[in-house]
Amino acid sequence: MNNGKAIEVQDLHRHFGDIKAVQGVSFDVRQGEIFSLLGPNGAGKSTTISMLSCLLQPNAGDALVMGHSITRRPMEVKKAIGVVPQEIALYPDLTARENLAFWGKMYGLRGKTLGRRIDQVLEIIGLVEQQKRPAGKFSGGMKRRLNIGIALLHKPQVIIMDEPTVGIDPQSRRHILDNVKELNRQGMTVLYTTHYMEEAAELSDHIAIMDQGQIVASGTHDELVKIVGKQDRVELTINTESERVLPAWQAIDGVHKATATDSIITLLVDESDRVLPRLFEAAIEAKVHITSVTIQEPNLEAVFLHLTGRALRDG
Amino acid sequence: MRILDITLKDLSQIVRDWKISLFLVVMPFMFTLFFSATSAPAEADARLPVGVVNHDPDGVLSARLIETFEGSQAIRIVSLKEAEESQVDSLIEKETYAAIVIIPEGYSRQLLAGEDIRPEVIAISDRPAGHSAVTAIRGDIKRVLSAAKGAQLSAEVADSRQPFAGDAARQAYLEEGITLANAAWDNPPISTEMKAATRIDTERSQSTNPAAQSSPGMIVMFAVFGLITSATVLVAERKSQALQRMLTTPVHRWEIIAGHLLAMALVTFLQQAVLVGLGQFLLGVDYLSAPVGILLVMAALALWTASLGLLISALVKGEEQVIIWAMIAMFLFSALGGAWFPLEFAGKAFSTIGHLTPTAWAMDGFQNIVLRGGGNGSVLMPVGILMAYAAAFFGLAVWRFRFE
Ligand SMILES: Nc1ncnc2c1ncn2[C@@H]1O[C@H](COP(=O)(O)OP(=O)(O)O)[C@@H](O)[C@H]1O
Ligand SMILES: [Mg+2]
Repeated sequence: MNNGKAIEVQDLHRHFGDIKAVQGVSFDVRQGEIFSLLGPNGAGKSTTISMLSCLLQPNAGDALVMGHSITRRPMEVKKAIGVVPQEIALYPDLTARENLAFWGKMYGLRGKTLGRRIDQVLEIIGLVEQQKRPAGKFSGGMKRRLNIGIALLHKPQVIIMDEPTVGIDPQSRRHILDNVKELNRQGMTVLYTTHYMEEAAELSDHIAIMDQGQIVASGTHDELVKIVGKQDRVELTINTESERVLPAWQAIDGVHKATATDSIITLLVDESDRVLPRLFEAAIEAKVHITSVTIQEPNLEAVFLHLTGRALRDG
Repeated sequence: MRILDITLKDLSQIVRDWKISLFLVVMPFMFTLFFSATSAPAEADARLPVGVVNHDPDGVLSARLIETFEGSQAIRIVSLKEAEESQVDSLIEKETYAAIVIIPEGYSRQLLAGEDIRPEVIAISDRPAGHSAVTAIRGDIKRVLSAAKGAQLSAEVADSRQPFAGDAARQAYLEEGITLANAAWDNPPISTEMKAATRIDTERSQSTNPAAQSSPGMIVMFAVFGLITSATVLVAERKSQALQRMLTTPVHRWEIIAGHLLAMALVTFLQQAVLVGLGQFLLGVDYLSAPVGILLVMAALALWTASLGLLISALVKGEEQVIIWAMIAMFLFSALGGAWFPLEFAGKAFSTIGHLTPTAWAMDGFQNIVLRGGGNGSVLMPVGILMAYAAAFFGLAVWRFRFE
């Protein structure tokens, strides 16, 4: 349906009083792909997702989910999607199984179908053993997995996940990322939001980078990385304040962007192999001692820095 | 169907903490016992039992005499069968009755004919109960006697002016005279308008059981308290954002609200049902004399408390606030609504103000049956007004309802 597009977002706007949370966001998610919205906290990811899951009315614009308008056919949209909210939205006093049973009924499942589906979902999220325990007693990672499981019960065509790996241990995160890939392999379209560029890079067929309510760039991982060209990201720690050497380094041919905090300096450079020796020369001349060096090949972090002048993490 | 799923989910969350559920029933029951005990002496029927044997069953004066006994503050009559007449002495001896009155055959006819005939009064008069009973009985007999004399005199006067058409006419005249004389006795300063031939049907005095006030009172009070459980569930659901998550599933907003409302109503309805049962079978409050009426009052009270619960959970942020507001509502509505003491005791003005609260109507509904002996129909107005309050609170709650 709709030339293979699961979601078509058309110029969505949403403000809260004076705060313009989302200002003119458009993107398409093709059926069967994993699409990530990557952006720092406050970028407007959750607001966008809330509009797509019919929780919030847009102030302007519209979106089609599996061909249904979010403003005119919200019930049809809700049947087609499973939403994993950023918050752990479940009943801590009910057991994992009771939670799944209740939410399954909300999605219209009953009886044997529901029971079978709960068993399958418990298998997927790895909580078969713990199904009789109250959700409130779970670890953060287990709660996150149950939070996801709830959205899978009715086998939605599209699953929308809002930062599903925030604040959990590496093992649970691995489990969740593998789940997402497996669900996608089975044919589910995934719209995923995160502020971890590694997750976006690992999972996504397409990525839209979001900042301050707008999409600043979008494409495949490789397409996005090309924006910063062949530039490597070089991070150097020195034994004194950055001002002593920063001007000299910026003057070196092939050094593009330089940002500094205290004694850590981050540079975007063409061909680090050629530039690195010259950085060391300049440091010796300035009588500055370099205590550590890390070189990173181009990545989404660098793209974000290049496009916005700020780092993703502390955006 | 989804409405019921939400209701059942709420109920299962509530009963998970079974101690609270127990509390909802045990507390009000204890309070009922406590209030009943403190108000018992003033309300109990302390009237002396007096047996009556009537050999003049069709007589106008014997009927008048029995009616006078029935209105007595001092004695409580029990009509005896012929068979028991032979055991009069032993019944008195065993103090089954403080006294026994035997009305002789032809009592009314002979008395009206001017003959001296008196009922026989048997008692042991050096016993305090016997003495009091005899004094009260003598007074009542005298009262009937003077009514008869008055009627007789006036009949003679009337007869001398314009003779009666026959015995039947004379008899009718006499009977009306007696009725009027009796009414005059009831209201010593005779007013000219006094014509009442039948007694005004005042509230049937069933207040012999103090639990008839405290049992419905505590049911009403703790119904408001009981909504804390279900309202807390709803507020916690909103805080965890599960309520908002429901909006991402194909459930309508009204279904969500209806599901929660139904849970709240069921909790207080079940709570009331248990307390009505305890009141009926352990405390002897006669709820089941009009079961349909009681069910209607219970349902209306449950709906109103549910709307109140919905309103409170719409207005507050946290679970602690639910408790504070429910407590305020409980104290306010139960004090003003007459759950603690009968509104009539506090005077007309207070009673009028009290009836601005829905709880006063719930009390009226219950007490029309258990205190005033009304039937199923006697609850219709209180139930109607209670339902109107429920609708108003519900409207307010839906208007202020928030999903996040
Ligand atoms: N309900 C709300 N009321 C007021 N401001 C909001 C609300 N929701 C989000 N915002 C604001 O909108 C902006 C975008 O928020 P959000 O969509 O949650 O970002 P993200 O999910 O990318 O972290 C932020 O500035 C946030 O403070
Ligand atoms: Mg967010």
